Amino acid sequence: MSALLRFSSLIDRLSEIIGKFSGYLVLFCCLVSAGNALIRYTFNISSNGWLEIQWYMFAFIVLMGAAHTLRLNEHVRVDLIYGAVSDTKRLWIDIVGLTVFLIPACAYLAWICFPFFWLSWMQGEVSSNAGGLIRWPVKLIIFAGFALLVLQGLSELVKRIAALMGLAAVDTTYEKPLQ
Amino acid sequence: MFAYGVMPPLMFLGMICFMLYGFPVAFSLAAVGLFFGILGVFTGHFEEVFLQALPFRIFGIVSNDLLLAIPFFTFMGSILERCGLAEDLLEGTGKLFGAIPGGLAYAVIVVGAILGAITGTVAASVITMGVISLPIMLKYGYNPRLATGVIAASGTITQVIPPSLVLIVLADQLGRSVGDMYLGAIGPSILQVTIFLLFILALSIFRPKDVPALPPEARGEMNAALVIRVLWGMIPSIVLIFIVLGTLFLGLATPTEAGALGVVGAMGIAAMHRRLTWDLTKQGMQTTMRITSMVVFILIGATCFSLVFQGMNGGLWVEHLLSHVPGGALGFLIFVNIFIFFLAFFLDFFEIAFIVIPMLVPVANALGIDLIWFGVLICINMQTSFMHPPFGFALFYLRSIAPKSVKTKDIYLGAIPWLCMQLILVAIVIFWPESVTYWLEKAPVVDLDSIKIEIPGFGNGGGTGGMPNFGLPPMDGAPAQQGGLPGTPNLGEPPKINP
Amino acid sequence: QENPKINWRLTSSFPKSLDTIWGGAEDIAKRVSEATGGNFTIQTYAAGEIVPGLQAADAVSAGTVEMCHTCSYYYVGKDPTFAIGTAIPFGLNARLTNAWFYEGNGNKLLNEFYANHKLYGMIAGNTGAQMGGWFRKEINTVDDLKGVKMRIAGLAGRVVEKLGVVPQQIAGGDIYPALEKGTIDAAEWIGPYDDQKLGFYKVAKYYYYPAFWEGGPAIHAFVNLDKWNSLPKQYQAALTDAAAYANTNMMAKYDLKNPLAVKQLVGQGTVLRPFSQDILDACFNASMEVYKDISASNEWFKKIYEDQVAFKKEGYLWMQLSEYTYDTFMMIQQRNGKL
Ligand code: NA
Ligand code: NA
Repeated sequence: MSALLRFSSLIDRLSEIIGKFSGYLVLFCCLVSAGNALIRYTFNISSNGWLEIQWYMFAFIVLMGAAHTLRLNEHVRVDLIYGAVSDTKRLWIDIVGLTVFLIPACAYLAWICFPFFWLSWMQGEVSSNAGGLIRWPVKLIIFAGFALLVLQGLSELVKRIAALMGLAAVDTTYEKPLQ
Repeated sequence: MFAYGVMPPLMFLGMICFMLYGFPVAFSLAAVGLFFGILGVFTGHFEEVFLQALPFRIFGIVSNDLLLAIPFFTFMGSILERCGLAEDLLEGTGKLFGAIPGGLAYAVIVVGAILGAITGTVAASVITMGVISLPIMLKYGYNPRLATGVIAASGTITQVIPPSLVLIVLADQLGRSVGDMYLGAIGPSILQVTIFLLFILALSIFRPKDVPALPPEARGEMNAALVIRVLWGMIPSIVLIFIVLGTLFLGLATPTEAGALGVVGAMGIAAMHRRLTWDLTKQGMQTTMRITSMVVFILIGATCFSLVFQGMNGGLWVEHLLSHVPGGALGFLIFVNIFIFFLAFFLDFFEIAFIVIPMLVPVANALGIDLIWFGVLICINMQTSFMHPPFGFALFYLRSIAPKSVKTKDIYLGAIPWLCMQLILVAIVIFWPESVTYWLEKAPVVDLDSIKIEIPGFGNGGGTGGMPNFGLPPMDGAPAQQGGLPGTPNLGEPPKINP
Repeated sequence: QENPKINWRLTSSFPKSLDTIWGGAEDIAKRVSEATGGNFTIQTYAAGEIVPGLQAADAVSAGTVEMCHTCSYYYVGKDPTFAIGTAIPFGLNARLTNAWFYEGNGNKLLNEFYANHKLYGMIAGNTGAQMGGWFRKEINTVDDLKGVKMRIAGLAGRVVEKLGVVPQQIAGGDIYPALEKGTIDAAEWIGPYDDQKLGFYKVAKYYYYPAFWEGGPAIHAFVNLDKWNSLPKQYQAALTDAAAYANTNMMAKYDLKNPLAVKQLVGQGTVLRPFSQDILDACFNASMEVYKDISASNEWFKKIYEDQVAFKKEGYLWMQLSEYTYDTFMMIQQRNGKL
């Protein structure tokens, strides 16, 4: 179990670093978008590359940030039941949910997203817009995001099983995220 | 009910069960979708390869520029929440209106509307207004139910007043322009603010004890200096409104970019108040990252569900059901609004927008319903989802900042009159579509017979008469006649209209 | 079994709101079902119902859906050769498009190319020469094009970029407000009937013609190559006929709807303007450079493009003798009110 917990903390660390980086992209994405508007207005120049980089960053924020968000228990739940039951029962809800919902679903999505990336890589696909970007990096992000979620899901599973065995503490408090 | 087999209704039921189970919605939706996906392969609805549409759909989601508004507005909200702007506004307007009964409540509504014109998310408004005005209202004898109610309701006005994340997301789902959605929402926003203000006026007449005027020591001297201070305090807000809506209407930015400019503006104002720290920025961007990821993952989960739902002919099923609602377009609208009002008890607006709206659009289209009007109507209705006891976000934020003396029951009960007012607004907009469409530009009626278009360049020198000399090379290879011959069509000359 | 029961899905690249172009998919489905006594049915889905519109052919390649109704040039990011399937700047008009595809080498060559992407293509619709788009200000000279921010996609973007236009790809829902406020200066869409519904005339009054990048754009029906090969011969024939019917019918609908729409637009304040001879000449030259560039690095493009050019040379000689002369005479009669 302790080896598993070490694996889990390694994954947590990885997700956290990637998640923090995604956070910086939020700021950077705002600046790029505001910059695009200002430069276009003042100098009458613009490029599809700089427009597309915005949603490349958005893709990274969404997909690569999801694992860190999962680690912090901030994916929104319908907490009719979850909010009313004991800690142990919450652990069980999560264990079943991770095993039956999250891990298989994300593993399957990663599995079918890989060829999607691979084809784009092989074809050297580029944007169909003049001056646009190469496409495979964003398709790689989609695959990597789901792969990281599978790992994070395993890590959460390990932590919750350990908590049931009394080997670790998991904070199951859940607050609906602010919007 | 079973016109398209048992699978579509089963999927619907399955979705509700999986979601109630309490595991994060995004993954539950993806799982219920894929679970039925496997079933669908066995029942022969489709082959496994059908599910490989998912990467395309997910790519479609992340490459949708319009969704960039989610991180932009969330980030702007989280900075606004701490930048001191709302405090300035509330303090000033509170003192200004303080002398009359209900004054603080008017101030909250007006400030809620101003914040609404700046930002597109609810949390920022409710939290800042709650932190500042709730203690004052309680201290001077406001009924706690009324105090929490007016704050929660005024905080949610931002969803109807442009700019608004709800309107942007709905525009995307309805396939209409964000600009038109904004224009359509102007009328209902004015109506809503008016209804709220009238409610307070009625209270101050019939139950003045609930909404007392502030004593003189709390509101300070009412004089020209105060008015000037209040006006001065409004300048940053006006600047921000200009940055977000003004740049949009000046053509400096697209609706999405306007959100990004708003972030920069909010940071500027925070800096002016000496509150812009690296910590605040970092907190803001981390929260924004997590909320963006959370929200867009609901969309990703929903896309798994709806692909399989399509594969099971669920789209046809919903269309079949809804088009058999009696009463035509009106019956459909009333049914849909009641349906969404109840869904809003346990789903939030993103879930409704991403899961339910796509099923309604084809039916609304088929019934000839104006989609802008429909969208604005849904937007007002979904605003209630923020205030439904016991799960409404706005109430939830209030609970987290209200003092212990305010009972949770008070917050819930306090929300009810405001919910009723919003339902009244929904009814008004249903029966008075002009409240939305008045602001939209209408196409002039054209008498086709009066339009004559003459395209130049035919006949000799654009006149009438003979055939043009084409200057074509003869077939036997002799040199072509040189260009510029009279009667050669001049393709570059504009046509004459009604010559 | 002679006539097996087959049910296919068709994903369209178009929303139902573009009723004419979306209608092509419904025409195909209806005809196929009727021709096979209801044994071969095709269920049609609008853009986004199964996959996003711009990825319809990818989904067919992958076998996710059996077929799609789309524009080949949406996929130029994979290979510029895809552009020739729909239209390239200064390519063929609708008549010649049909001739090149059906009786020339168009269909044959392109299907050799499409096979690399596991696709079998049939032309299944045409809009006819499109309009050059909506401009906020007049464009009289080549210089006026400099710095014009225009929503224009694909190869045409590459051509006009050479003349100083700034091609901007912005989200569908953003086009109207962006054009309204001058965030962009111009946007091209389809033709009068479809453009009118989006209301561009309210925000940019100069309506230029013609879209030299879309002289007769063909809409394609793509079938997954394996699915096509495994289809019984009589069903292949039914589908081929249905696509040809859709091809004719779409053109017919546009030719009926556009004349009325253009009058309405003019009545609503639209100002019609032709691109000047100078602009057309400059764009023509720029296009030739682009083709030279692409041909230098892309064998498929070179081969198919050269075949089309050879056909185009003969085709446009014949057009001058036949259609052009007759049409011009008839147009003069039309203008003189004698028709
Ligand atoms: Na707002
Ligand atoms: Na076009």
